[in-house]
Amino acid sequence: MSRMTVNDRPVEFLMDDDTPLLWALRDAANLTGSKYGCGTGDCGACMVHIDGEALRSCLVTIGEAEGRFVTTIEGLSGDRSHPVQQVLVAEQAIQCGFCTPGIVMAAAALINRNPAASEEDIKAAVPNLCRCGVYPRLVRAIQRAGRVARRQERISAAPAPGISSEDAAREVPALSGQAPAKPRN
Amino acid sequence: MDFRKKLTEAAGRVKLPDVSRRQLLVGAAAGGGLLLAWTLWPRSYPTSLVPGDGEAEFGGWLTIGRDSVVTVAIPQLEMGQGITTLLAQIAAVELGADWRQVGAEPVSPSGHFPNLPLAAQWAPLWANFPSLAGEPDDWLVERFAGATAFGATVGGTSLAAYEAPLRAAAASARDMLVRVAADRWDVAAEECEVSGGFVRHSTGGQLRFGELVDDARELDPPDPAPLLPVAAFEDPVFGEADAPTAFPRIDLPSKVDGSHLFAGDIRLPGMVFASIRHGPVGLPELFRFDEGAVAGMRGLVGVVKSKRWLAAVAESWWIADQALARMRAHFTGPGALEQAVLDTEIERAHEQRADLGERIFELGNPDAALGKPSLQRRYDVAPAVHVPLETASATARLVDGRLELWMASQAPAAAREAAAKAIGISPEDVVLYPVAAGGSFDARIEKQHAIEVAQIAAEIGRPVQLTWSRVQDIQAVPPRAPAAADMAASLGGEGQPLAWRARITTPPFMREMGHRLFDNLTPEAAREESRGKADALAVAGAIPPYGIGEVAVDHVPASIRLPVTRMRGGAEALTAFFTETFIDELAVEARRDPFLYRMALLGGAPRMAECLRRASRLGEWDGGRSGSGQGIAMVRMGQDAATAGHIACVAQAGMGPGGARVTQLTAAVDIGRIVNLDIARQQIEGGLVYGLSLALGSSVKYESGHPVPRNLRALELPRLADCPEIVVDFIASDAEPFDPGELGVAVAAPAIGNALFAAAGLRLRRLPLLSEGL
Repeated sequence: MSRMTVNDRPVEFLMDDDTPLLWALRDAANLTGSKYGCGTGDCGACMVHIDGEALRSCLVTIGEAEGRFVTTIEGLSGDRSHPVQQVLVAEQAIQCGFCTPGIVMAAAALINRNPAASEEDIKAAVPNLCRCGVYPRLVRAIQRAGRVARRQERISAAPAPGISSEDAAREVPALSGQAPAKPRN
Repeated sequence: MDFRKKLTEAAGRVKLPDVSRRQLLVGAAAGGGLLLAWTLWPRSYPTSLVPGDGEAEFGGWLTIGRDSVVTVAIPQLEMGQGITTLLAQIAAVELGADWRQVGAEPVSPSGHFPNLPLAAQWAPLWANFPSLAGEPDDWLVERFAGATAFGATVGGTSLAAYEAPLRAAAASARDMLVRVAADRWDVAAEECEVSGGFVRHSTGGQLRFGELVDDARELDPPDPAPLLPVAAFEDPVFGEADAPTAFPRIDLPSKVDGSHLFAGDIRLPGMVFASIRHGPVGLPELFRFDEGAVAGMRGLVGVVKSKRWLAAVAESWWIADQALARMRAHFTGPGALEQAVLDTEIERAHEQRADLGERIFELGNPDAALGKPSLQRRYDVAPAVHVPLETASATARLVDGRLELWMASQAPAAAREAAAKAIGISPEDVVLYPVAAGGSFDARIEKQHAIEVAQIAAEIGRPVQLTWSRVQDIQAVPPRAPAAADMAASLGGEGQPLAWRARITTPPFMREMGHRLFDNLTPEAAREESRGKADALAVAGAIPPYGIGEVAVDHVPASIRLPVTRMRGGAEALTAFFTETFIDELAVEARRDPFLYRMALLGGAPRMAECLRRASRLGEWDGGRSGSGQGIAMVRMGQDAATAGHIACVAQAGMGPGGARVTQLTAAVDIGRIVNLDIARQQIEGGLVYGLSLALGSSVKYESGHPVPRNLRALELPRLADCPEIVVDFIASDAEPFDPGELGVAVAAPAIGNALFAAAGLRLRRLPLLSEGL
């Protein structure tokens, strides 16, 4: 039985110690933002931060993660405010979005450590596989994220989730701000 | 109603080589009873867009709420190509909405959203009489697409299929809102305009949609819908690649924080997780497995076996997959596929082409002119795997004989029907919730996993989520078909081609795919059914866009033991490699600059010529001299030059210690009217990267029926560090919009191959380019 901190909460997984962290996160904790793409460390879609370092959660067992601090894409910012999240939306460096959580976690670990990362640093720190081909936008986007992190630039591309219709109506004159009688499914 | 069955019966009774609707009706009447069924076939179908409380629905395409939120129905699969945003944008512009008030809702397959252009293009696949291939009868196509809810997302047909009906619905809604406002203000409707989400009048009056919608829904829609003079478009601006976009993609915020739900992210009360094993190619049937090996295994919920697979179900996917590993399933069948056999089968078909081949296209009298061709070359393409990052996944819940299915499918109606049939319920008792795909590249035309998850859910009696392992996704999704081509040309005095022949040996992979899709056949049965039949769709794009007087395209339908299919780029990605490598060889033979050599042949194709010229300028074409490492290629997709898509690309590549390295790809693109410039740019960029992956990797060989390699690492797919500099420029055009998704895929491989020839003096005639070594 493995205990660790996941997104700032203490967690004990009632699973075998040799369960890869990816499956504990996805199937037991319902943190489905970390994706399964290969299970062999080739694609990086499952990347999470373990004690601040971007690691492939399919290659780390929950036994090995015992006592460590794990941050998943869900816990990175909570409101899409991490500079990497903002720039990937602003630069539209996302297509199908399946590799995106892994790329965000890889790039965020780099920017958190070195917001002035060079092109070479970025290429080395983001080994993730993207089949839709967002690569041509990634270096520029991650460098821009570094500038945002250094407060040389501001960006507001991805709104926080869960905005109330009243708040939305204050921003967007065309919206009436009246919630529908019943919320939709 | 089983449309294909009725169609087949009717066609069988008609017994005429060319079947028209009239003849079909006559034949059907003679058969008795069928005429009634055909005329009673509904002409309109209910929409699957259901308005919520406080919302009014318009034309089955959009809803407007009292809160002024506009929700647009998305009947196409979002697989990253941005269709959700494109369709919402088309509605927003036509309606006069503020982009921030617009949302999108994927809708279940329904006859209300037929993909008519694709149904017409694929008529040879769903109609059993090949004479429909040329000009499908509109009536028949409409009946087919409506009755079967055929709304597949394939081949860049989305705009052609859905822009017009969506605009009509939005224009009607705008008209109805205006009429209500004009009535309230007691002014003429013509004096009102709609912009930014308000109906406005010159005297200063303005009303939100939400304030008008309750009355607007009561009005009769206008006929015809008062369309704006121009559909949604954005002008390309040279050198402004990073200008902010006016219509940012609406799916990105949820994709950047992990909250966007793919089929494997659905969580239901009591749900369990399944993993599965299929047989290797050639051994499709489950033979034996050791169930005792998992007795008492912690977390295991059950084992489900079928004729063709073994699944384990557990409290986590990991446990399920471990259980499968322990049970060591063995499969049986006619014989495991070996690479040598596959190679021999292609070779045999290629050699027997005189007996097997069928002429698909002929202009002039090419055979006479090619009695002794000036140049003849052989090209080969190995099977390639799609490998979207998300493996085949689906979630199912079966309660009281009703099945709910969460999955990403490019052909959801067929998936729904197959799942229903697999567990013996009616398709009306299946709800398919369309979920976005984590990439597809045409892998998700297949629907095997829909059948499997339904059967597992039925057997286990709990909601189930099935996720194929990566190995299973590489092995059990049919790969892109292998192909071989004999290209021949005879040259005139200045080295220009006078006659041209493309003789392409490849399995009839589109027919094969059609039998899986439309007839629900197994891969083996689909192969058998299409065996030896020529397939015009499998050699699409083989007619060169050059001004050549005598042209022939032949298809030799190879019979191979590997089930195969289409892939992003389509047949055009195969034929572009043949055409554009061969024309490069002809230019070298004629000692001409490959760019100028092509230009001289494009007198009748001005849009293509402009693209090529623009690419050469942008890519700083220096003549493609030996040692330069520069290669050029171009592709026109679509038979009709007026509505075709055009791309030209200059590649810069060289040989390094680690193999080929592509350093730059520069593309000029003419896709007619551009709806969303940045999404078009994403599609060209992504297409070039996908084409790069096919040029240098993505291929598999077969050992004992298993594809090799079986992991992502060894497939040599490009990563960020391998990505060349990519420059894309669009040409402003008012022509019909053409989907940009497949152009980059088709042009990349020949451009890179030609560049490697210019770099190293070695002509690479096989895809992937360095598969044979140097």
